Parts: sequence; C-alpha cells; structure tokens
Amino acid sequence: MLAIEFGPEGGVVIAGRLDASEAPRAQSFFDQVQGTVPVDCSQLEYISSAGLGVLLKTQKRLLGSGGKLKLTGVNSHLNDILGYSGFDQIFEIERAR
Amino acid sequence: MTTSASFKRSFDSIAEIFAFTAAMFEREGIDKQILPAVDLALEELFTNMVKYSTTTTQPVQVEIVPIASGVEVTLTDYDVEPFDVTKAPDVDITLPIDARHPGGLGLHLIRRLLDSIEYEYTKEVRRSRITFRKMHSGGPHGLATHKGGTNASD
Repeated sequence: MLAIEFGPEGGVVIAGRLDASEAPRAQSFFDQVQGTVPVDCSQLEYISSAGLGVLLKTQKRLLGSGGKLKLTGVNSHLNDILGYSGFDQIFEIERAR
Repeated sequence: MTTSASFKRSFDSIAEIFAFTAAMFEREGIDKQILPAVDLALEELFTNMVKYSTTTTQPVQVEIVPIASGVEVTLTDYDVEPFDVTKAPDVDITLPIDARHPGGLGLHLIRRLLDSIEYEYTKEVRRSRITFRKMHSGGPHGLATHKGGTNASD
C-alpha cells in the first residue's frame, strides 16, 4: 500500500511500498510536481524497478526545466537499491538519521 | 516446511505475494532483514512473467523453502516460451540521465541482491522455472553462483 501527498512547504511525502501495482498512481502524482522538490522517503519501506522508473521519468522532466527531486530520509535498504541502480549519481540523496 | 501458492497473472497479485512472503517469514521465524530483497526479486520476476508471457492464462506458482541461513524461492510458469533471466544483460548505470531508461533494471537489481539464481526450461511441457536463494547477512552480496540456460530437454 502506498501513500503519497504534498507535505509542508511544497515537498512530497511518500510512505509504504512503491511497487509495480502502485507505480501508475505514483506517476500521476509526480506528474503534477514542478521545480525543485524534496521527497520525504523516511516512511518508504520498499521500492522496485517500477518505482525507480517513476522517479527517473520525473527527474528527467524536472531537470529539463531547471528543477529536480531531492530524496530525503532514505533508509538503508532504499539506499542500497538507489546505489545498485546508479541513481545515487542522478539524485541528491540525504540518508535517514 | 515448503510453502506454496499460485497467483493470477496480474499486477494486482503483487500485494498478495507480499502478504504470502510476510506470513511465511513470520510462521517460520526467518530473519525479516532479507524480506525486502526476497519481495523485490519475486516482484521483478513475477512482473516479467506477466508482461512478457501473454499467451497463457495459467497462474504463476511460487514456493518458498527455509534453508540454512535464508530461503530458497521457486517461481514456476506454465505454457510459456523460454526466457532465461540469468542471461539478461546488465544495465549501464554510468550513463548520463538522458540516456537512462528503466528497462532491464529489475533483473540488474536482483542479481546484486540475491546469492544465487538459476533458470530451467522444460520444452515438453513449456515450463519455465526460476529458483533463487537469499541468505542472511554474512553471505556475499550479489550472486555467489550464476547458472542458467539449463534446458532439461536438451
């Protein structure tokens, strides 16, 4: 189950599991964001390649207009996935404390 | 004890698969540290079967067996063409973002998360079988063994 919403100050808060069944809904949400957007991932338990695809498509679009996604609160598992995917070179990542 | 279930060929089954693995880990007392990697491998392999084997309506069978230091998981897909997931090329993760695409990333990821993965195709019954192992920490990350392409009919 995935929960995704705008948080304080225009950021995005994403929680739960971003898998292939939830990716279309997540993509629809991210298609609305503009500019440089922090994404609070501290409650994101799981992401698969379908979820990574959502982040990649959004990052490409935002970079084209001078914006970007910044991933914050990234847990150890998520950090491993981002690293194995090379997404640590594409996204600004802030680890969970 | 082997735990087995069949899942309809639909992305809607992913939540059921996650519930299935979580219940099995709980019942067997398996370290949940490896559950995200097991779930990710299952999702990537299952969704590949759903996306690329579209001529069958047979459900996909999943079996999980506790082994020393982890689990062994087998996915069986019936009435399908062969597709050896162990032969899929790695993704070039050094490419600039403009050249990056999500395709192939799932299999690229699971090769780094699992300890072994094997593929077997039985021509007579058109059956694909993928078996992977995930161990608790202490074992090597990434594939310790990487076999594939076994065709039981050859």
